Amino acid sequence: MFDALKGFGVTFGTMFKKVVTEEYPEVKKIPAERYHGRHQLNRHPDGLEKCVGCELCAWACPADAIYVEGGDNTEKARFSPGERYGAIYQINYLRCIGCGLCVEACPTRSLTMTTEYELADDNRQDLIYTKEQLMAPLLSGMEQPPHPMRLGDNEQDYYVKGPELAVSMESAPFADSMETAPLKEQGK
Amino acid sequence: MTEMLNDVFGQDTRTKAQQLIARYPQSRSALLPMLHLVQSVEGFVSQDGIRFCAEQLELTTAEVSAVATFYTMYKRKPCGEHLVSVCTNTLCAALGGDAIYARLKEELGSDGKPLGHEQTSEDGKVTLEHAECLAACDLGPVLQVNYEYFDNQDPDTASDLVAKLRAGERPAPTRGAPLTDFKQAELQLAGFFEGRDLDVAGPSAAKETLRGNTVAQDRGWSAPVMPDGVLPPVPEKKK
Amino acid sequence: MTLAADKNTDIVVPDGHVKLTIDGAEVVAPKGELLIRTAERLGTVIPRFCDHPLLEPAGACRQCLVEVEMGGRPMPKPQASCTLTVADGMVVKTQLTSPVADKAQAGVMELLLINHPLDCPICDKGGECPLQNQALKHGRTDSRFTETKRTFPKPIAVSSQVLLDRERCVLCQRCTRFSEQIAGDPFIELLERGSQQQIGTAQDQPFQSYFSGNTIQICPVGALTSAAYRFRSRPFDLVSTPSVCEHCAGGCATRTDWRRGKITRRLAAEDPQVNEEWICDKGRFAFTYTTEPDRLLRPRVRDAKTGELRDASWTEALRVAAEGLTKAKEAGGVGVLPGGRLTVEDAYAYSKFARVALGTNDIDYRNRPSSAEELAFLGSTVSGTNPEHGVTYGDIEKAPAVLLIALEPEEEAPGVFLRLRKGNRKHGNRVFHMGQWTTPAVVKTNGTLIPCLPGEEADMLGRLPSEVDELLRRPDAVILLGERAAEITGLFSTARELAAQTGAKLAWIPRRAGELAAIEAGALPTMLPGGRPVTDSVARAEVELAWGLETGTLPTAEGRDLAGILGAVANGRLAGLVIGSVDVHDLPNPELAERALDSGVFVVSLDLRESSVTRRADVVLPVAAISEKAGTYINWEGRRRPFPVVITGTNRLPDCRVLDTLAVEMDADLFTQTPAAAMADLGRLGHHTGNRIPAPSVDAGRPNRPGQRHAVLATWHQLIDHGSMQDGEPHLAGTARPAVARLSVDTAKAFGVADAALITVGTDRGSVTLLAEFADLPEGVVWLPSNSTPATVRTSLGAGHGALVTVTTAANGAAS
Repeated sequence: MFDALKGFGVTFGTMFKKVVTEEYPEVKKIPAERYHGRHQLNRHPDGLEKCVGCELCAWACPADAIYVEGGDNTEKARFSPGERYGAIYQINYLRCIGCGLCVEACPTRSLTMTTEYELADDNRQDLIYTKEQLMAPLLSGMEQPPHPMRLGDNEQDYYVKGPELAVSMESAPFADSMETAPLKEQGK
Repeated sequence: MTEMLNDVFGQDTRTKAQQLIARYPQSRSALLPMLHLVQSVEGFVSQDGIRFCAEQLELTTAEVSAVATFYTMYKRKPCGEHLVSVCTNTLCAALGGDAIYARLKEELGSDGKPLGHEQTSEDGKVTLEHAECLAACDLGPVLQVNYEYFDNQDPDTASDLVAKLRAGERPAPTRGAPLTDFKQAELQLAGFFEGRDLDVAGPSAAKETLRGNTVAQDRGWSAPVMPDGVLPPVPEKKK
Repeated sequence: MTLAADKNTDIVVPDGHVKLTIDGAEVVAPKGELLIRTAERLGTVIPRFCDHPLLEPAGACRQCLVEVEMGGRPMPKPQASCTLTVADGMVVKTQLTSPVADKAQAGVMELLLINHPLDCPICDKGGECPLQNQALKHGRTDSRFTETKRTFPKPIAVSSQVLLDRERCVLCQRCTRFSEQIAGDPFIELLERGSQQQIGTAQDQPFQSYFSGNTIQICPVGALTSAAYRFRSRPFDLVSTPSVCEHCAGGCATRTDWRRGKITRRLAAEDPQVNEEWICDKGRFAFTYTTEPDRLLRPRVRDAKTGELRDASWTEALRVAAEGLTKAKEAGGVGVLPGGRLTVEDAYAYSKFARVALGTNDIDYRNRPSSAEELAFLGSTVSGTNPEHGVTYGDIEKAPAVLLIALEPEEEAPGVFLRLRKGNRKHGNRVFHMGQWTTPAVVKTNGTLIPCLPGEEADMLGRLPSEVDELLRRPDAVILLGERAAEITGLFSTARELAAQTGAKLAWIPRRAGELAAIEAGALPTMLPGGRPVTDSVARAEVELAWGLETGTLPTAEGRDLAGILGAVANGRLAGLVIGSVDVHDLPNPELAERALDSGVFVVSLDLRESSVTRRADVVLPVAAISEKAGTYINWEGRRRPFPVVITGTNRLPDCRVLDTLAVEMDADLFTQTPAAAMADLGRLGHHTGNRIPAPSVDAGRPNRPGQRHAVLATWHQLIDHGSMQDGEPHLAGTARPAVARLSVDTAKAFGVADAALITVGTDRGSVTLLAEFADLPEGVVWLPSNSTPATVRTSLGAGHGALVTVTTAANGAAS
């Protein structure tokens, strides 16, 4: 008898507590800044890719979710500063456990993670994200590779002058942290 | 289709090269003097010169390049009429060698730019280099022109000397053979004296260098004679 | 080496040995052994970079420092154990027992690492790098060097194939010592001095060596990398499979590294009896031909309606092939041309297919100029060759004298060339080259040229200089014959006679990897497997018994050879052909071959890639490449060189499997479903002990003499040329020797081309135009590389070694 009342008491009391229900998908929650979401392949300020196709991310991955094949930059078709670029880059989100070891392994800070978490689909094939889906969007001042090196004569200039370039970018309007900006809808 | 001929190096040079080779049991030993010979023709070791040596000695150009790039006395850029080497090692530097070098750099430079190491003045007369120890510390600071000594220099005398060289004069060195030019000196280094044997015969040791010896002779000093047969044991040779 | 069980017991020191103590253990070592090796035999690995067992000691890197005491007196400083030889009573303390040695090694390591970039994560060598391993094992945990590291622009290409990152180099000089001592191509050297000291080439001469790839493999850091493999993968990512090189008859042991179904690189494997630790660049880099876009992946059948080749299923293709061959067999017979690059299993399948399914002896694997004399030589002398009784690499190295006839070792048998050079350097053996000019190999083996006209070799053997004759009479002297011998009348016979007279051992070194295997398998018109003569009834009975055939089934008459088969096809006496991987342009008469293929006969082609044969075939059956099948090569020594499948799971079928199934369609059983089955079936035949084919006895031919209007052609293949098995590797092609025509100054004057840069060598068939270079050829002789230009000697000139050609100034100055 009292038990039933006690039950109503809980219900009644809950009415005055903070609502925990997420109104997803009507309201999309912004996760914490360092949330391990979908990966992104970053670009140098001129649009060249940072990925050099070294495969260290694939090696670091405990779930074997990453596949990389490097290619040679040529004078005619340059995708990244230096000798090599990632010609094929795939992340299998069926396997990815979001641990972020790949990001730690990346020597050029090409691979970072966004806060994008909507990684569901109704078939396996589409969950293998390809390089086109993972590449960071072109911001203003960037140019779609292949194109020649615009920021220096060699690969080193891109890294040595990197901090200055980053600062000069910060004053630009699109400066909200280039590396962690969530992916815009890219028509996957 | 005609064989590549070293037009720069005429028959005379070829003959000399063959004489050099004949001096040694192994032909490769002639490489060092032959590089001097090449410098005596061109004033530096050019790619043609490297090829010439390689052909004469049946070596590859890589092997000749290895030697030519190792030694500092083989110049890889054309030199002027005279090579002025200023000693800037510790003792000479402390006694004023650095000051001499700085002064000559300024004076030989043009357009307000001082002359660098192994660079040649605009008139093509003088190539300047800072040298490692010239083995005349008792006479420092020293400099050499075409490897002939000018002892006890200071910035003024050095500047004067270089001015004379540029004016076409050939001042007498403090000791040793009369001054010629760089190419001629290189020919001598290669071992061809061309009738100047007496000039370079020496002795060219300075009074200062021999002073200890003179004192010992005056006073009848001598080193104790080593007793026969009881040489200290030589440490066993490796291998 | 003996180890003291108890220190008090006296160890017996054999003659020529010394006793020393390493880390408290007494060791007996042969005099002259290097300390670092003695320690290694004891199980103590002293770190090292410059030391390499096959190179002379250098003491360049100073990493192997140990503390040494001699006669009770400690040496004042730690000593480099890679240059110090053992001595009696020496007391050595390595890093294991001596803090001094340990600190010295750590110090050297710290110095080496001062300018070494920390780019291990992106370095090709990372994961298999001696510097990385030893730095972790023997180095300090941190560096005290805080200044800026010296850097160089990277990388520089010392050749089109070898790239050099100078900042990674620790100046151990392994590469320069290799190129100087082993290969004899000292085109890389230490340049500059002090902190600028670096490896480099002369400005005008890249590192052009047929063995340059070995320097990449022995580089103890990532300084030398290959353009083909640079940044392609990481060593720990790769599956390594032992393999055998398919490019020449040397049978070098290799290691194939692959991943994701693709070969990433090939390395030399260790085999002291064969290739030691070296392979040539062709063996190392030429493996991309199997992944060229023209690779055949599906069977093809000529469509009856359109007359074009179309893709077909295996079932259909095999049915069509079997029907066509059965019909052709009845209509006159079928010839079989297996080609010279087969494993013994595949060659055996061809041999058995010809005899059992086609009932013919018309089979000849020799897709190159050949002769009846050669056939007799192969049957009488070459078949049954084995390393126990024949000549081996070791014999070549130790021989007091080696006479090479019609063999250009560096171009045609690089492994043999390295042994000849080693033999000369280590044992002072004398090498005599009977050839036309002083080739680089003559110089590098410190050899003597015995010049003769092309074709005059056999005659020349009868009037050898007395010195050569005398040296050949010494025990263990060796005579080597090359592939070209087949173009010289009487050479095989006279060489046999010379060997018999002098007691020298005789060996035949062909160019292709499959030649000995094909002879062993009986892929010849006169021979059944094991060298059994087809005309010998006892031998036939043996084979019939082993193959389970009724007595008298095997054809009794000798078959047609290559020229015979092609001729018979061309004039309609043969109605079909089964062709393995044969390039028409290798054949002595490409025109005849093309005519034969076009004559409307039924052609079944088993090939890797599209070729002028597959384009003319009625049925094309794709076969597995070397990396996709197991098998056994037999090298020129007669040594069996088995190798496993490298890339598993490709589902590609080896020739033996395809022929087995095709035979089943034709109602015959070969029992060669797999290479293992084929080998077992061949093994059941056992060694042949009966009659052999009689030795050739042909008088030395009269060579063509040069005249007013004609010169005599000398020709052989360069190692790196336009061969189809080098396709798809531009970096390798960049290291090829330039194609030039060689002739003497006098010859050039006589033909009025002394001032011409380009000369044209021609026959009534066509011409080859090349840059001319003077060399010491006999008067009236002109040399051409066989296959280094778009216009080849065989196809464009229709000529061979010893043919008469015209020499003129190139008409319009354009190289062909």
